[in-house]
Amino acid sequence: MRSRIPLPTEEVTGLGIPDTSALAPAVGAALGRLFKETTRLPNLGNVTSELVRIRNARFQVCHL
Amino acid sequence: MTWLPDLPPYGTDWERMSAMFPGAFAAVEELHRAVWASVDPVLVELARLRIATLLGFEAGLTVRSREARDAGLSEDKIAELSSWPTSRLFSVRERACLALAEQFVIDVNGVTDRHVDDVLEHLSSEECYAFVNALSALENLQRACLTLGVTSSPESEWLSGGPRHPTSV
Repeated sequence: MRSRIPLPTEEVTGLGIPDTSALAPAVGAALGRLFKETTRLPNLGNVTSELVRIRNARFQVCHL
Repeated sequence: MTWLPDLPPYGTDWERMSAMFPGAFAAVEELHRAVWASVDPVLVELARLRIATLLGFEAGLTVRSREARDAGLSEDKIAELSSWPTSRLFSVRERACLALAEQFVIDVNGVTDRHVDDVLEHLSSEECYAFVNALSALENLQRACLTLGVTSSPESEWLSGGPRHPTSV
């Protein structure tokens, strides 16, 4: 996968996508915290969450 | 007012929901403050207002970013926002960002290299990355408010440079 934004490194993450952590670190940290907090939301089943995530990925044609 | 049941009876819709899920709501606020601090506030404010118009988020259209106003964004320009492709009030830089913002909201799969290259002519890689994340954060917040029936924008305090919400860390 090629990033449209020039990156300071050619490193990729564990998911095989370009590493953007050096770009706007404060934004990256805030995003990380948001993802972590949303996965901790009570009363939200793992199966439901995963079905919604996959359905949305297909709708958005996101292959990750 | 939100249709969510079993919320505390005090405060705005946003404050009542924050009391139920403090960690998640503090994280949303932190993300918004981070993107506003990373990009020209005029560009973010123009994108925020344009997204609010496209999505029909009336509450978002009633508030203004103090930082963007102090940086020179006028009500005359905001009034012309729907005409940004042709209005002489908008710079090439602002048009590039608004074109990306509109395509992002209407059909993100329609974002092309050209959209991003046009923005990169005016913003650094860091600013462009932050701007894209700003679009994502703004769109998500507005869609969530519309879905949950939140009729007052939670952004009003953040955009006026107000204090952090008590649930923030």
